[in-house]
Amino acid sequence: MMNLPPTAQNTKASSWKARGQWLWSEYSVIVAFVVIILIASMLDSHFVSLDNLTNILRQVSIIGIISLGMTVVMLSGGIDLSVGAVLALLGALSVSVLNATQSVLLALLAALAAGAIVGSLNGLMVTKGRIPSFIATLGMMASARSIVLYFAAGGSLSGKAEGYTVIANTEWLGLALPVYIFLFMTLLVYVLMHKTRFGRYVYAIGSNEKAALLSTIRVNRVKMGVYMLCSIFVAAAAVVESSRLNSISSASSGLSYELDAIAAVIIGGTRMSGGRGKVIGTFFGVLILGVLNNMLNLMNISPYLQGLVKGLIIIAAVLLQKKEQQ
Amino acid sequence: MSDNGLHMQGIHKAFGGVPVLKGIDLTLRPGEIHALLGENGAGKSTLMNILGGILHADAGEISIDGKRIQMTDPRVSQQAGVRFIHQELNVVGDLMVYENIFLGAEWTDRFGFLRVEDMCRRTVELLGKMGATIHPKRLVRDLEPSYKQMVEIAKALLTDAKLIIMDEPTTSLTSYEVEKLMETMRTLRDGGVGIIYISHKLKEVLQICDRYTVLRDGQLAGSGLIRDTNEEELTRLMVGKSVGNEPRKETVRAEETFLEVSNLSSGKWFQGIQFALAKGEILGFTGLAGDGRTELFEAIFGCRPYTGEIRVKGQQHRLRHPRQALAAGIGLVPKNRKENAIIKDMSIMENLSLTALKNFQSKLLLDGKKESSAFERYRELLSIKVADPNLPIVSLSGGNQQKVVLAKWLEADPEILIFDNPTQGIDVGAKAEIYQIITELAKKGKAIIILSSELPEIMRLCDRVMVMYQGEITGELIRQEVDEETIMLYATGVKRGKQAG
Repeated sequence: MMNLPPTAQNTKASSWKARGQWLWSEYSVIVAFVVIILIASMLDSHFVSLDNLTNILRQVSIIGIISLGMTVVMLSGGIDLSVGAVLALLGALSVSVLNATQSVLLALLAALAAGAIVGSLNGLMVTKGRIPSFIATLGMMASARSIVLYFAAGGSLSGKAEGYTVIANTEWLGLALPVYIFLFMTLLVYVLMHKTRFGRYVYAIGSNEKAALLSTIRVNRVKMGVYMLCSIFVAAAAVVESSRLNSISSASSGLSYELDAIAAVIIGGTRMSGGRGKVIGTFFGVLILGVLNNMLNLMNISPYLQGLVKGLIIIAAVLLQKKEQQ
Repeated sequence: MSDNGLHMQGIHKAFGGVPVLKGIDLTLRPGEIHALLGENGAGKSTLMNILGGILHADAGEISIDGKRIQMTDPRVSQQAGVRFIHQELNVVGDLMVYENIFLGAEWTDRFGFLRVEDMCRRTVELLGKMGATIHPKRLVRDLEPSYKQMVEIAKALLTDAKLIIMDEPTTSLTSYEVEKLMETMRTLRDGGVGIIYISHKLKEVLQICDRYTVLRDGQLAGSGLIRDTNEEELTRLMVGKSVGNEPRKETVRAEETFLEVSNLSSGKWFQGIQFALAKGEILGFTGLAGDGRTELFEAIFGCRPYTGEIRVKGQQHRLRHPRQALAAGIGLVPKNRKENAIIKDMSIMENLSLTALKNFQSKLLLDGKKESSAFERYRELLSIKVADPNLPIVSLSGGNQQKVVLAKWLEADPEILIFDNPTQGIDVGAKAEIYQIITELAKKGKAIIILSSELPEIMRLCDRVMVMYQGEITGELIRQEVDEETIMLYATGVKRGKQAG
């Protein structure tokens, strides 16, 4: 009786306010990207050249592909620390299969299949083993790196077959093939996360796992899918990485890629605890990191300081998210 | 003599214009165990929170040992010698017994080092007062619940305590442990400490307490000496006259049985549960906190391992996941909406479509048009008041959130719908609407189960009521037999019906 008039009035006003806040929290990363682009082009005229821009895109494509998988994992409320080490492992596997069979297709398929296996191991540890994803994938990270180091005796594996390098080094319309792969995968993950049941379930689990379970979502099955997807994306990135130089280094390939990927996802506005974030945010998060690196190079700032800038940006991004939530 | 102990006089308190306490008097003499009784929402906790300085009374006086005290702050109350022992234990399992007792009040020497030996000696002393011998350096984690409770009480006694409030201290204890707690209470009483004992378990109250005060709807319903009263009288005082809610008119009962449960058990939560539910029937489950009804239906919904048989329409099912329960035709609207039912990062519409998401696909992709047209349908059907279905679910009032959760389940369309505490945190108007919806569902041939501890709700909706006590069904009442007193007797385990055994 007494509750009706006030709520009816309030909903209109608060709905606009809530809507505005929502829009800002979902798309602030795009605003940030535009601002950084503007600053960069003011600081250095060379920045806006077509050459430089396509170069940035090519540089970020590998981290970009990994970040997409990481986004899905983080939206589900988990994390995958194993991506960098698994990239080295799968890259080595891909190159070995290539050398053994002389078939690019078989190398690619082997990497993807192995990626699916690694992902399902991660998934099993998290679901059936009830191990927190941070710990499970930390274990995977150490194991994968160790296996590849042993396998390559600490050195590099080089491709000894025709055509493998084509994957990373072909250009169409001024853009390298990895860029197309990155863009295509962005689109794929966008559709998957925003237009399919799987995506909706991932968001639901990340936001409230208990309620998701009670809404009859098969939580474990979805989580398995999430970790498998991430590792399969890493497999794709591994093929691109190893084909770029026609070799993979067991010690240094993929090193600290997990940190870059997590950084891109966080900058893109995905919440650490899951349930909130956008694929398009990660896309721009990846670009922001790429543009920053590029700017620092152009301005001749020591590469040793680039980590500092990245660190500050991540912290600023998270602080901004905290503000929005209050 | 009358100045000694605690006197609360004419305590008034209102929340947002709604009076919760209407002039309560409470007197506690030193060395007395005083039972504070009343149904949920009668005002017990409000009164105790005022005594503890957590809430401020709008009017009334509190004096301890003849001194008038303004309870403006929990610390004032503490200094006056009032200690609160809450229902859930506040001990740190990974610390030792003495560390827990001295937590936040550690004794140190002049260099700032801990005086461990002194603290241990004092711990032994304090526990000895209660007739317990626990090694002060044992980990609290390894103690039985009753000993944990003693640690908590010892913490209260560390500084000079005159009055201890115990809020349902026995809910998590076994009967053996309850016995030990009672010994402790007697020892304390004989040492001159006053105890206010809040409990639903009348048997225990009659066993341990000296006097009682019963609250009902914020008013004093009665007080006196325990030895002059009995369970029936206390129950009558607590319940009073039943509230004038007109009960559900017609009772439609088809002969077809939808759900049959036999010999269902799960660990310590519930044992030997047996019941049947017919098409079009509304079956209520009620009881006090810890009666196991929520766990029982979690099991029936596939969230909890169980032994026994569940048959839906004559067919046996082994339910290991909510998805299987839904496939068998069972739906559950859980209690604690915020934790269990809504996805707060999602929009209203996304929350609605979540369970039956398959219905909203075209080819393999989700179809926003199908979602919004379904939403419009339910908005009208359930009169959900909402400006824009794309807003986050948390922008809605509790009642409207609950309607969205309901709509989610109507879209999934199970034949058996379980409602756990369906009107939790919902205002009166929305409550009536939810009741209306539930009644309509039963009329349309769904089988409904209502879990609730609100007796007026049960009486208004249900054709039949099962009363549970400590994981067992102690009574089965048909609509004509249902009254609050009878239910209370079954729910406190005083009486056992035909099902018990």
